[in-house]
Amino acid sequence: MIDPVEPSLRRSPLDAAHRVLGAKMVPFGGWEMPLSYAGGTLTEHMACREDAVVFDVSHLGTVRVEGAGSRDLLQRTFTNDLAKVEPGRAQYTHLLDDTDASVLDDIIVWWTDDESFDVMPNASNTARVRAALEGHGRDVTAERAIIAVQGPNARARLAAVVPEAAAVGRFRVTRFEWNGIVGVAAGTGYTGEDGVECALPGAHAVAFWETLLGTGIRPAGLGARDTLRLEAALPLHGHELGPGITPLQAGLSWVVSWTKPGGFRGREALERERDRGVSRLLAGLATEGRQPPRGGADVLHSGKRVGEVTSGNFSPVLGHGIALAFLPPDLTVGTGVEIDLRGRPVPATVVALPFVKKKG
Amino acid sequence: MNVPDDLRYTSDHEWARAEEGGLRIGITDYAQDALGDIVFVQLPEPGAHVSAGDSFAEVESTKSVSDIYAPVSGTVGEVNHELTDSPQRLNEDPYGEGWLCVIVPDESGPVESLLDAEGYMKLIES
Repeated sequence: MIDPVEPSLRRSPLDAAHRVLGAKMVPFGGWEMPLSYAGGTLTEHMACREDAVVFDVSHLGTVRVEGAGSRDLLQRTFTNDLAKVEPGRAQYTHLLDDTDASVLDDIIVWWTDDESFDVMPNASNTARVRAALEGHGRDVTAERAIIAVQGPNARARLAAVVPEAAAVGRFRVTRFEWNGIVGVAAGTGYTGEDGVECALPGAHAVAFWETLLGTGIRPAGLGARDTLRLEAALPLHGHELGPGITPLQAGLSWVVSWTKPGGFRGREALERERDRGVSRLLAGLATEGRQPPRGGADVLHSGKRVGEVTSGNFSPVLGHGIALAFLPPDLTVGTGVEIDLRGRPVPATVVALPFVKKKG
Repeated sequence: MNVPDDLRYTSDHEWARAEEGGLRIGITDYAQDALGDIVFVQLPEPGAHVSAGDSFAEVESTKSVSDIYAPVSGTVGEVNHELTDSPQRLNEDPYGEGWLCVIVPDESGPVESLLDAEGYMKLIES
């Protein structure tokens, strides 16, 4: 049921605090992180949609790229265009394989200062992203914790602790001071709700975390993080992105700048796909019943296998099954299909994404 | 973990209660805790014949699918249809409202082969 935890896994600066709260700890991307706390995943999920929760996301990587030429290095390495933003902003971007334009990682870049960037890969892709940056980045993951406050009331709750951080705009980055220490706050997240992610020195993480919990914010784990991002149709590397999957197939062409001077790694391969048209597209599926569709399940149309589920689960907000799947582009919204769930065909409908939209 | 003295258990974390007319079956407190929030239950068909050790039902949480194995051979009697719309009862009350079904055993006295509370407690503590 629960895999035994390997001793070599990395631990967050908040590890002891999670255990005190009775968290179920699980391996994730080389780290041991909380799956859920005493209230369970569904309670944590609904608290994020209706109020606010706090996640420890210290397992995300931080590769710091600084000094003259940093901006140019990021421009030629990643797909998005930094000319669209400026220092003090955050940008979502991709790192592509040079030969087939597969997404090697999806990344948030915090542009903290003129020639200073915090590049934030997925936990297990940090080394790969550092290599792509020609060894210029410094891995500072071990020095800091990242605490994400998410939900419609996230800013109000955070304002009681650190108003400067709570005031950061969506996809903006700012420094904040708390109890004499300096941190960085960004208006980013992975839940489909408004929120703020705060990076601060690891040694002060427990005090900050406990102060946040003291305001009545409920902690949430990886279980809720996954069901929340799925309802919001946010991709997870290794599922909706990865080997053989390009940004165009994932429906993320807005992450790719065709016009920036000098291009980017993987541009030629991606251009070939753009010119011939994608053979499959990421789509949303909804079922009627509660049974969770699962990654790897076949999708059938008129009795023929046409695609595969990449992620699926029970949607706590909608009360039925939802799934992301790669399907032929001609299977448009409203098309009826079937998902093969352990040998039982379950009817599903192609639906528009995201499954759940932010209120207001 | 709650392990009531008056029940019998399997090493697959099911419980069985001998009642007039059959054995009432469910999953243990340990099992529901390990699974996490249960969101779907595939119940067996009443009238179906099951052999001891067969997978005859499924319980799904937000993170995984688990097979439920028949503790004894017999015929499925009553099933708990309430679980179709309220699977969280398996988490909230695993030995009460979260029961799965009744199995009418082929032979009398099959519970004697199952673990008692002390034996099951040893199993989950090891």
